[in-house]
Amino acid sequence: MRPFRFTAVTSLDQLGPPGPQTSFIAGGTTVVDLMKLEVMTPDELVAIDQLPLRGIREDAGGLRLGALETMSAVAAHPAVAGGYQVISESLLQSASAQLRNMATIGGNLLQRTRCSYFRDVHSACNKRVPGSGCPAITGENRMLAILGTSASCIATNPSDLAVALVVLDAQLRLRGTGGGVRTVPLRDFYLEPGDRPDRENVLQPGELITEVLVPRPAAGTKTGYVKVRDRASYEFALTSAAVVLNMDGDRVRKAEVAVGGVGTKPWLLPQVGAALNGRALDRTNLEAAASLAANGAKRYPDNGFKVELIQRTVVRAFSRLGGLV
Amino acid sequence: MNYQVLGKPRDRVDGRLKVTGSALYAGDRHPENLAYGYLVTSCVAKGSIRSMDTSKAEQGPGVVAVYTPFRPLKLYAPLSREEGGGPGDEQPPLQDRGIRFYGQIIGLVVANSFEQARDAAALIRTEYDPAKPVLTWDEGLPHAFAPKSIEEEGSTATVLAPGVTHIDDVIRQAPVSIEVTYREPMNHHNPMEPHATTAIWDGDRLEIYEATQGIISHRRTVASVLGVDEDRVHLLCPFVGGGFGCKGSMWMHSPVTAAAARDLKRPVKTVLTREQMFTLVGHRPALIQQVALAATPDGALQAVKHEVQSTVATSKVFIEAAAHRTSRFLYKSPNIQVSQKLVPLDVGPPTFMRAPGVAPGMFALECAMDELAVKLNLDPVELRMRNYAEIFPGKNVPWSSKNLAECYRIGAEKFGWSQRRSEPGVRLEGEWLAGVGMASALYPAHRGGASAKVRLLADGTAEVSSATQDLGTGTWTVLAMVGAEYLGLPVDRVRPALGDSMFPPAPVSGGSQTVASVGTAVRKAAESAIQKLIRLAVSNAKSPMHGLAPETVSYDAGYLAADNRRVAFADVLNAVDRGAVEAVESIDPLSHDGRYAYHSFGAQYCEVKVNRYTAEVRVQRVTTVMDIGQVVNLKTARSQVMGGVVFGIGLALLEQSLLETGSGRFANANMSEYLVATNADVPYIDVAFVEKPDLVFSPVGARGVGEIGISGIPAAVANAVYNATGKRVREFPITPEKLLLGESGSPRISVI
Ligand SMILES: Cc1cc2nc3c(=O)[nH]c(=O)nc-3n(C[C@H](O)[C@H](O)[C@H](O)COP(=O)(O)OP(=O)(O)OC[C@H]3O[C@@H](n4cnc5c(N)ncnc54)[C@H](O)[C@@H]3O)c2cc1C
Ligand code: SF4
Repeated sequence: MRPFRFTAVTSLDQLGPPGPQTSFIAGGTTVVDLMKLEVMTPDELVAIDQLPLRGIREDAGGLRLGALETMSAVAAHPAVAGGYQVISESLLQSASAQLRNMATIGGNLLQRTRCSYFRDVHSACNKRVPGSGCPAITGENRMLAILGTSASCIATNPSDLAVALVVLDAQLRLRGTGGGVRTVPLRDFYLEPGDRPDRENVLQPGELITEVLVPRPAAGTKTGYVKVRDRASYEFALTSAAVVLNMDGDRVRKAEVAVGGVGTKPWLLPQVGAALNGRALDRTNLEAAASLAANGAKRYPDNGFKVELIQRTVVRAFSRLGGLV
Repeated sequence: MNYQVLGKPRDRVDGRLKVTGSALYAGDRHPENLAYGYLVTSCVAKGSIRSMDTSKAEQGPGVVAVYTPFRPLKLYAPLSREEGGGPGDEQPPLQDRGIRFYGQIIGLVVANSFEQARDAAALIRTEYDPAKPVLTWDEGLPHAFAPKSIEEEGSTATVLAPGVTHIDDVIRQAPVSIEVTYREPMNHHNPMEPHATTAIWDGDRLEIYEATQGIISHRRTVASVLGVDEDRVHLLCPFVGGGFGCKGSMWMHSPVTAAAARDLKRPVKTVLTREQMFTLVGHRPALIQQVALAATPDGALQAVKHEVQSTVATSKVFIEAAAHRTSRFLYKSPNIQVSQKLVPLDVGPPTFMRAPGVAPGMFALECAMDELAVKLNLDPVELRMRNYAEIFPGKNVPWSSKNLAECYRIGAEKFGWSQRRSEPGVRLEGEWLAGVGMASALYPAHRGGASAKVRLLADGTAEVSSATQDLGTGTWTVLAMVGAEYLGLPVDRVRPALGDSMFPPAPVSGGSQTVASVGTAVRKAAESAIQKLIRLAVSNAKSPMHGLAPETVSYDAGYLAADNRRVAFADVLNAVDRGAVEAVESIDPLSHDGRYAYHSFGAQYCEVKVNRYTAEVRVQRVTTVMDIGQVVNLKTARSQVMGGVVFGIGLALLEQSLLETGSGRFANANMSEYLVATNADVPYIDVAFVEKPDLVFSPVGARGVGEIGISGIPAAVANAVYNATGKRVREFPITPEKLLLGESGSPRISVI
């Protein structure tokens, strides 16, 4: 860890223009970890955990989550657990209880990839040191992406919550350094790596996530999250699927699915939802729709199995919600 | 056998210290003026160091010294195991610029705080002249070689029936046979407590706090590397936070730290990082095993052939004796052949890991037996019973005590094995496929030379001490219990002491030998202390029993008795004005005179469920029955078996060290990505023992329990996965992708 300055702010007005090496710290579970590894080397940390960015509220428009709410608080909140199960389920299957008590919603959406070369400063990595190369493409890539990859980077976005929020079409409220605010749909927030894998999202320097807005699903909608991993707890996803299902009798009125563990960002699969809409929810239709899940996927030596596994994950998630098992 | 104390469940005497955080481990020591060491390690797997620029590091805040091959600390080669040493790595670091593996020690930064040392270490710039390392099976296989001997037999050990010239002829001609290959990756021990050394010199005397499984061998080895007399080294290790084998050797961070402390005339402490523990303190080798079994149609084995290839380090040979420790003797067969070759890679030194040889060997053998049972359409338990070995094949000696048949039977009853459906892939429960599997368990029984001291004190209490160590297994409590048993005292009147090299020497806690070795020494010392007490009582003029013939005086439950008199030992000691009477006794290692074979056995049953869509495997319940001789502490013995089962679940389903074939780095050298079982992965584990004291093996009747719990579980899980799905996965860990691949290898989307 390199020496750094530490400041704590208690009101938004105290936030000045950031230096080139300034980083926010909320729960610290990503940033401190990466500073110890010297993957992140900020010269200044600004602690934002005392800012008034809390609160979990539901109104007619939907759910509003303060960016500083912890993962555990959001997961347990009755409004979330009641009407937005996919959020609760994605959070409860993330990390460990201790981490969820510390980690915030805003920090979760900005966590960094778990690619092992990214986390090892002795390895090359285009995301950490642009232009240095990507050893993962031929190296250990079992956990990495098959969708949205590029010749520069194949790292997965590891957030479970982001997958749930993408399927629900959540919006982020952002506050710039000058105090200006804007709203960005989460579906447009993350960037594919292309030839600039160091740029992961559209956040401007010093810009703060203040709130997450989640539209309320139509009445009768069911949501759920399935996470596939080697061990039963405390592991990132091999694959995951966040699904939304609204039935009209025995026909699908509206289905949506986003997947995790397979994309360089949380991956929405509109073609799968579209293939189900208006049809009966049975195995044949589900498998036909799910077979579109890996469209455009590129296999790497250790992760080619995800092409099949993600299709199965989608089938499983819809089968569970639709009561097929 | 009627024991008062042994075999009962007993809370740990050190439990309260552990749960309140007041048990101090090697890394918890903060002597005055302490400096902190941080190891610098190599980032290439082979070659040599051209240069190291340490200027920035030396100027770092709080930095006291930076040692490298260019500014070394003198270290000597360690004593070998034959000489009573116990080195893990045979080459002391910093003495040359050669690189033998990724993560090798190439420097030590010492600073006033841990963070300063770590941060300065990151500022060192090292230039290498790298060479191409050998890191894959394909690259290593051409260099494979057979060791001279394995388990006191040849690297190929063969038993053939009269008239048979080659085992392959039997296999070829047998009515039923199978030939299968099993693979498993390297594994790392990952005890919760990292290795740590705190070294404090006082003139030419060294006091050293260590996390070690062998106080005495560690002391001797570190002294040899430092070039000092071991009698001047005082090693303390009251608590160990898990070892599993990786603390059974002395690794080089220990003497480097002590040498720095000597050089700086200041205490120095070095604690390994988790990542450093992946290269500096050993691993379980990777293995490829081929098993061929041949049988008659009714399941009588005609041939057992087990060939092993296991990795070693180019710089260190370690034999993961997977076949010699399992297939060599588990089943009765007229023809048996086990063999092994070692495949050198440019990796850090391998070492023993819980149930070395046995855990991987039993995976191969017990899965193969399951495959044979399926082919024969026989119940797997029945197949094992039809090939039950009453004598050690080829040596024709019996076991000192063997009750495996009872383990199979009791286990089957408790588990409900008779409910099993032999047809695979037919139990669908919601989105899960369920199945059951079983395997035998075994582990060799070891008893080393050990010594102990027993003191009877004038306050009516007793002390039992030995320079043994408690890895978290419960040795503290066992010392007190064995002392209490043979002194006839309540356990809370016996104070155990261990973890200090000043106590009478004891062997490494490895091979599950501590209870049998140290326990036997304690028994002997207790009996000896009682004899001394009697002699004192009859010979000292002030004693109430003065003048009696010693043979007329007996000892029972803390009292001396003769005629109609009964005197508490405390009263005798007070009468003669002695603070204590004590005895130190040693026992020799068990002599292998060829009359018996010594093993523990067991049977392990489990049920798994496999997700029918996405193929994750989850273990649902486990029944395990162990024949380990006399149980000493029922509570901690159960914990050991449970811990072994948890380890076995990890081996089968989770654990794999990912060796990057380009660099030699372990890509998942952290607890987030090296997956060990979490609580959610561990179901209810039913543990039972067949309690038959083995007095041929040890005077306390115990054979040891630390490792056997792991031995059958991996195969039992794999066999249950087959029963659930109809798919054989012959490569550990059994992860979803290995189950998903269709038989043709082509993925498809219908459910499994
Ligand atoms: C062992 C382990 C296992 C894990 N497993 C999972 C898992 O299974 N699934 C999963 O989804 N996650 C997992 N995580 C990741 C964890 O969820 C994140 O570390 C956590 O959510 C980050 O939140 P934080 O508040 O601690 O962020 P911090 O570490 O404080 O910050 C993270 C980043 O976000 C920035 N930041 C934080 N808040 C804001 C804000 N409001 N506006 C702008 N920038 C901000 C910081 O500057 C920093 O760059 C795991 C983490 C660990 C260590
Ligand atoms: S996949 Fe991305 S993060 Fe990983 S090494 Fe390549 S560039 Fe770096």
